[in-house]
Amino acid sequence: MFVYEKKLQYPVNIKQTNPKLAKIIITQYGGPDGELGASLRYLSQRFTMPLPELKGTLTDIGTEELGHLEMIGAIVYQLTKGLTEKEIKEAGFEDYFVDHTTGIYPQSAAGTPYTAASMQVKGDAITDLHENMAAEQKARSTYDNILRFCDDYDVKDAIRFLREREVVHYQRFGENLRLLTDKLDEKNFYAFNPEFDKKCFKNCMKKK
Amino acid sequence: MLKKISTYQFAALDLQLFLDTHPHDRKTLEKMKEYKALAQPLIAEYEEKFGPLTKSMTSSNHWHWIMGPWPWENEEDC
Repeated sequence: MFVYEKKLQYPVNIKQTNPKLAKIIITQYGGPDGELGASLRYLSQRFTMPLPELKGTLTDIGTEELGHLEMIGAIVYQLTKGLTEKEIKEAGFEDYFVDHTTGIYPQSAAGTPYTAASMQVKGDAITDLHENMAAEQKARSTYDNILRFCDDYDVKDAIRFLREREVVHYQRFGENLRLLTDKLDEKNFYAFNPEFDKKCFKNCMKKK
Repeated sequence: MLKKISTYQFAALDLQLFLDTHPHDRKTLEKMKEYKALAQPLIAEYEEKFGPLTKSMTSSNHWHWIMGPWPWENEEDC
């Protein structure tokens, strides 16, 4: 169950439109390392996670990513609000415009529509946690790249907040991985899949 | 005012994430509760003045939920 809070996680208040920048930032809406993929990845992986800490972290980070998706949507909306045909032409925004006008569509910076092929749910907690740590770093790099093309303080401020959250999430997933491996056979973490072979946990093995 | 609410709520949320991997850290738990408590009266005051933040608030006779500004809109939109 989800409840909507009628506010952004961090304020977005952009005064100057910039369709060229919007076309880059849209990649964090529906691109390969974007917030939609992040949210879907974590909220899907959590069902078969073996430990309470892991289920909790994936639920909470997956939910926060939905809030980030909303922030990116707000940024793109405010960057493309009230554009004239002349401004669209000058910024090279026509290619996005013909397909979506100024609607917010999940696509990458290069125009590829959102695809779940850019994420994975492997059903193996070790594998999935590594994927998630990589995903947070990929999103962090993307925000670093976006910041290279940003000179508007209002946009930078919100993007910097989102970038910082990637670093915090990476940290939490690292702790998840440690919590998990602490409970596995330290001689061979990979002998079993902790989501499928339940007997791999240390305490279970002792009982047998 | 919304910024102040968001700040306290964000502090609580960040500590909640930390608690997911450190569930027995009582000091962090107390700190998290502290920030939540700080946000509480501000939320009530905000909703009284500017309308509901969640749909659970139904104190008035009107359905204020649909009224702008929505979170993605800035001042010029209204």
